Amino acid sequence: MGDYILLIVSCIFVNNILLMQYLGNCPFLGVSKRMETATGMAMAVIFVLVMAGAITWIVNTLLLRPFGLEYLRTLAFILVIASLVQLVEMFLRKSIPALYAGLGIFLPLITTNCAVMGVCLINIKEEYGFVQALIASFSYAVGFGLALILFAGVRERILLARVPKPLQDTSIGLVTAGMISLAFFAFKGMV
Amino acid sequence: MVGGFLVMGGLGVAIGLCLALASKVFYVYVDPKIEAVEEALPGANCGGCGYPGCSANAAAIVAGQSSPSSCVAGGPEVAAEIAAVMGVEVEAREPEFALPGCRYGVQEADLKYLYEGIHDCRAAMLLGGGAKECPIGCLGLGTCVRACPFGALSMGPDNLPVVNTDLCTGCGTCERICPKHIITLSSASLRIIDEYQVDECTAPCQRSCPTGINIPRFIYQIDHGNYEGALLTIKEKCPLPLICGYICPAPCELACRRNLIDEPVAINPLKRFVADYEMSAGKHVDPYKAEDNDRKIAVIGGGAEGLTTSYYLARLGYQPTLFEAKPELGGILRYVISEDRLPREVLDHEIQGILNMGVTAKTQTVMGEDFTPGSLLSDDYDAVVLTSGGIDSRKILRPEAKGFGPPFQGLFLLLDLYNALDRGEKIDLGEEVVIVHNLSEGLGLARTCREMGAKRVTIVSKLDAGDLPPELVDTATLHAEGIQVLPSTTVSFLEGTGNHLERIGLETIDPRGDEFGETSILNVDALIFPGARLPELVFVREERNPEAPSQIRRWRTLETFRTFPKGTQNGVFSSPEPGRLSDSSAVVKSILSGRRLCRAVHTHFTEERVAPIDNLVWEADAILDVSEVHHVKSLERQQPSILDVEGDSESAWIFPKPWPGLNEPAARTEAQRCLNCGLICYRKNENETSLKA
Repeated sequence: MGDYILLIVSCIFVNNILLMQYLGNCPFLGVSKRMETATGMAMAVIFVLVMAGAITWIVNTLLLRPFGLEYLRTLAFILVIASLVQLVEMFLRKSIPALYAGLGIFLPLITTNCAVMGVCLINIKEEYGFVQALIASFSYAVGFGLALILFAGVRERILLARVPKPLQDTSIGLVTAGMISLAFFAFKGMV
Repeated sequence: MVGGFLVMGGLGVAIGLCLALASKVFYVYVDPKIEAVEEALPGANCGGCGYPGCSANAAAIVAGQSSPSSCVAGGPEVAAEIAAVMGVEVEAREPEFALPGCRYGVQEADLKYLYEGIHDCRAAMLLGGGAKECPIGCLGLGTCVRACPFGALSMGPDNLPVVNTDLCTGCGTCERICPKHIITLSSASLRIIDEYQVDECTAPCQRSCPTGINIPRFIYQIDHGNYEGALLTIKEKCPLPLICGYICPAPCELACRRNLIDEPVAINPLKRFVADYEMSAGKHVDPYKAEDNDRKIAVIGGGAEGLTTSYYLARLGYQPTLFEAKPELGGILRYVISEDRLPREVLDHEIQGILNMGVTAKTQTVMGEDFTPGSLLSDDYDAVVLTSGGIDSRKILRPEAKGFGPPFQGLFLLLDLYNALDRGEKIDLGEEVVIVHNLSEGLGLARTCREMGAKRVTIVSKLDAGDLPPELVDTATLHAEGIQVLPSTTVSFLEGTGNHLERIGLETIDPRGDEFGETSILNVDALIFPGARLPELVFVREERNPEAPSQIRRWRTLETFRTFPKGTQNGVFSSPEPGRLSDSSAVVKSILSGRRLCRAVHTHFTEERVAPIDNLVWEADAILDVSEVHHVKSLERQQPSILDVEGDSESAWIFPKPWPGLNEPAARTEAQRCLNCGLICYRKNENETSLKA
C-alpha cells in the first residue's frame, strides 16, 4: 500500500510529466490560455492516458515480449494509441454525447501527444506490473492536469499584468513555465 | 524479422477491423443539412462569421444560432443557397469592403529609421511601432495581402494595400491581422454614421468641418475629373452640398495647411463647383441606398436638420416622413436667409434631391394640433425624431395658439414658462418637478416652482459637487425647502404614455469619464428644460409591456449622442447649447446633428445603446499635426477674396451677390493646390507621384 502511495506522489509531484520530464509541452503552452480549455484538456488526458497505459502494457506483455519484438515498441505504441483515441472518440460520440461535447475537440489533439506516449514507455521501462502501470498512468495524468491548471491560472493573471511588449504572450508564458518548473524542483528527493 | 512483420501487420489489420466495426456500431446520425450547408459555404475558414471555421458555422446555422447570411465571404449567392437548404428567406445584407486608411506609402512618409528585417508588419511593429513617424501609418510589408484568403488585396506601387472590391468579400481577415488597425471594414451605411476618431488618418480641414466631409478625397476626385465621385464623397456626410457651397462659413479653410504657405485652398467654392455641376446637368447623382427595412420613421421639422435626418434615414433603408408646419420645407434656409445669399432655386433643387431619396413630406401639419409624437407612435411609426430646431414655426404660424405647444405634456421650456408667468397665467406643474440645470437658472427657478405648488423640486446638474454655484451647496437647508440637488448627473431618457411624461432616467457622470454611469429612474410630473427651443429628441416605442392597448403607447426617448472621455455630450440634454445637439448657428452644424440623430436611430434598431465614441476627434485636446510645411510651392488661389467680389465694400461680406462660382478649368487648377493632407503627411512638390485617395 505504502508503495502505491509513494508511486502516486512520485508521479504527480516529483516526476511531474510536464514540469520535471518536459513532455507534452505543446498543449502546456497551447491550451493554457483559458482555465476552461485547460480543465477540458486535463480531463481528456486523464481519460486517454489511463486507457492507453492499460492497452500498451497489454500489447507489450502479451504481444511484443513473447515474440521478442521490443524493438518495435515505439511503432506499435503509436499505432495502438492513435487508433485507441479514434475508437474512444467514436464510442463517446455515440454513448456519452455530453462527455464527447466536453472533451470533443481535445481528444484528437492527444493522439500525437508525447506525454501520453512518454508515460506508456516509462511504464515499460520501470517494469511496472499491470496495477502499478494503471496507477502510474493515472497519477502522471493527474500531474499533467495539475500543472496545466496551475499554469492556466497564472496565465489568466498575467493577462491583467503589464508585460513589456517583447515579452508578451508566449514569451512570458515560457518564462512562467520555467519558474513553475523550478518550484517543482522542491519536490526532488522527497521520494 | 518475419515475426515482426507478422505481428505489426496483424496488429494493423486487427486495429483496422476494430475501427471499421466501431464506425458501424457507433454510427451517429449527422443532420444532412449540416453537410449541405457546409458544402455551400466557401470552405475558406476565414472566421469572418465569428465561428472557428466553416463547419462550425454550418452547425450553428442549422442549429439556428447563426444566420444564413452570416457568411460574409460567400456573399448573397451563398446566402441564397444556404437559405434554400434551410428553407428560409434570406435577409438583405449590405456588402462591406476592406478600406485601407493610410494614403502615404513608406517612400513618401516621414520615417524614423530604415527597416530591414522580417518582411512582416507584425515583426516591424515590435520596433517602436514601425518605421514611420506617423503612429497610424501603414508599414507596407503586406501582411494583410498574404493573409487575405480571397486574393482581393495586392500591394500598390506606393507600398500601400489596394483592395479589389470585386474579390473582397468583407470577411475582415485583414482587419484582424493588421497590427496597426489601419485596414478596416467599411460600408456606405457605416461611413454615414461614423465619426472621426483620434486614431484615424484625418486632414485638418476634415477635422474642422462640422459635418466631417472627407475634403482631401473629394478634392482629389475633382483633380482627376471624377465630379460625380466627388459629389458622392460629399454626400456621405453632407446632403446639401450646394446650399453649403453658398452659405457655409467654411471653417475648413481656416484649418487648411496651405495657410502656412500662402492662402487656403478654396474648399467651399470647390464643393460648390461639383454641386453646381450636378444642378446644371439637371439631375441628382444618386448615392448608395441600403435595402428598405420597412421601418417608418417620423421626422418633425423640415429645416436643415430634419432634411438631413430624413435623407440619411432613407439612405440607411428606413422610410422617413417629414412633418413641417410651414407650407414649404427649408426652415431657416427658406424663411430667414435672404434670397441674395441663397437663391431659392438652389434650395428647391437640394430639397428635391432629398425627397428623391425616398422621403415623404407632409407640410402644414402642426405638432400639438395635428399630431404629437405619442400619436405618431400609435400610428405605426417605429420612431419619431424631433428636429424642430432653429425656428419655432408653431408660434409663427398660429400666434393665437395658447399653451406651450410641447411635444407632450410635462415638458416646459424655460422661456415659455417665464412668458406665461409674466402674463399671470396659472400653470399646474404637478408635484414632482425636475429642472435641468444651466448655470444661470437654479435656485430661483426651483423656489418659483415650489410657490406654484410643486412638492419636490430636483435640480439635475452636470457639474461636480465641487463646481456647483454657492447657493446650491448647502444641501441640508435646501432639503428642508423641498429642493434636491443632484450633481454629476445627466438626464439619459424620458418615458411616458401617450401625451404624458411619466418618468425620467438619470445617469451619473463617471468622474474619469470613461465608463457608463449608474442609471436610476425618477417619477416626474414636469421637466423644465433651460432653453428657448425644443431639444432634439428621438422617441421609440417602449416594448416592455406588449399587452398594453396600442392606442396608449408607452414611449421613451433615446440618448441622442454619447462620447467618451469627457462625457459632455452624454444624456438627452447635451451640449453645445444646453439641451441641443446643434446650436443652429450654421447650416453645417444642423447637418451634423441631423446625421447624429440618424446614428441614434440606427444604433437603436441594430443594437441597444448608442455606441460611445471613445476619442471623438472634435473633442480631443491633442491630435497629431504639423506646425510647418516644407517643399511646397506657393500657388495662386483661384477664387478672389470675398471682399474683392464687389469692390472693397464691407457690405460685400454681409450681402454678397451670388458669386457665379468657379468654372471647370479654374476648379481643376484649384484642386491641384490641395496638399492632400493626412495626419502628418502631405503632398510635397518633389514627390508628386503615386498618390491615392
